Amino acid sequence: MFDGLFEKLYEMTAVGAFVENPGYLLMLLISFVLLYLGIVKKYEPLLLIPIGFGVLLANLPGADLGIVAGDKIELGLDDEGRMMYMNLFEIAHEYGILNFLYYALIKTGLLPPLIFMGVGAMTDFGPMLRNLKLALFGGAAQFGIFAVLLIAMASGAFTIKEAASLAIIGGADGPTAIFTTIKLAPHLLGPIAIAAYSYMALVPVIIPLVVKLTCSEKELKINMKQQDKLFPPKYTIKNLRAVKIIFPIVLGTIVIILVPSAGPLLGMLLLGNLLKEIGSDTQRLTTAATDYIMNPATIILGLCVGATMTADVFLNLKTIGIVVGGFFAFALSIASGVMLVKLFNLFAKKKINPLCGATGLSAVPMASRVANEISTKYDPQNHVLQYCMSSNVSGVIGSAVAAGVLITFLG
Amino acid sequence: MGESLFLMIVGMVTVFTVLCLVVVLGNVIIRFVNRFLPEEVVAAKPSASAAPAIDPKVYSAICSAVSTVTGGKGSVVDVKKL
Repeated sequence: MFDGLFEKLYEMTAVGAFVENPGYLLMLLISFVLLYLGIVKKYEPLLLIPIGFGVLLANLPGADLGIVAGDKIELGLDDEGRMMYMNLFEIAHEYGILNFLYYALIKTGLLPPLIFMGVGAMTDFGPMLRNLKLALFGGAAQFGIFAVLLIAMASGAFTIKEAASLAIIGGADGPTAIFTTIKLAPHLLGPIAIAAYSYMALVPVIIPLVVKLTCSEKELKINMKQQDKLFPPKYTIKNLRAVKIIFPIVLGTIVIILVPSAGPLLGMLLLGNLLKEIGSDTQRLTTAATDYIMNPATIILGLCVGATMTADVFLNLKTIGIVVGGFFAFALSIASGVMLVKLFNLFAKKKINPLCGATGLSAVPMASRVANEISTKYDPQNHVLQYCMSSNVSGVIGSAVAAGVLITFLG
Repeated sequence: MGESLFLMIVGMVTVFTVLCLVVVLGNVIIRFVNRFLPEEVVAAKPSASAAPAIDPKVYSAICSAVSTVTGGKGSVVDVKKL
């Protein structure tokens, strides 16, 4: 009766799987580190905690909560040569509820634009509209994306789609990075999302490091308010509310005609912003965008992204390449923005604080806050927050456009 | 490599084109609104009656502080002793 009892108990539990594949243990350790960073260190807790828990669930052998590769849901070609896929009911039945959520909400590219709508509803274009020229420096910061694309291709370790997904980490925009990776290299979604959000959490470390390496004290002391007094703007905005309402409508129309593939992200960002700017008439929709839609979307996105990180997928050299490449993408983006400001200052009478270039990397509004801390460290009267917010917000638009270009040519 | 270089050129040109459009459109919208939809300007300048009630030096210090804190957007309309 008790013959082989321990053997059966051993087979019932998942202990055997850990012995067969110690990678599971390493992944559990990674999930604990992510949870620690989110809970204790408070690094992007809204994302890192669901992601960390997703990693934990996906790497509990036998629970079958990990996201399966796309080829597992393929059913073969139909008579016309088109690929057929399992329907969502079959996916849920065969691979569980997390795969159902992943293939219904993430793989379709639905959640990142929904989150972007919430981001738009929390974004204020006011500082950018007051300092429109500074918006151009948000463009320079996108150079990091394309520079890392080149470097990743030169390394020979990545295909061009994988390299583009890695490079978009330099946009410092989680939803944009996830959206691009879903379209180009979904098998790298986990490590890329982790790298993107980890480096965003490390913005207070990375920006001061790059600024220290690229800027002099004299440059960091450039007082933007004094420059405004010396060279006042040509005109003031007489009705900021009307400008803020018209701006997303006109901008969305024209930019999406130019770069249609940026439409899902940019369109939703601008819709969210429009709802916010209209004010009390659309207050309920604004609240829905920022709370009732964005919050569950964030939980599901984080959980599913974490669940893509199974031991087989995550533990390889590409992950290390993504971690290293992601850092360079971030650092190069910051440095490119700084360099364009320096170039501008060579020729312009009205000088600009290079911190306004450093914040061209999205990561709104943390990058601007960090820049303001740096400037006030050198001169307590020198508040650059409002100026940095201009390039910071335009950086969001710039990275969405860069993602659109990559998806158009490689998708 | 050739393809990634091509993407870099096309990408950066597109990004700067779009952000130039942001600048141009922003300026056009601001001019349009200033001309056709200007908000009623509320008396933002300090009234003549407010200033004499308080030491001019203190008054200018308050104005300067408000301007710094609000990033130049706010202005002092009146100062009263409580």
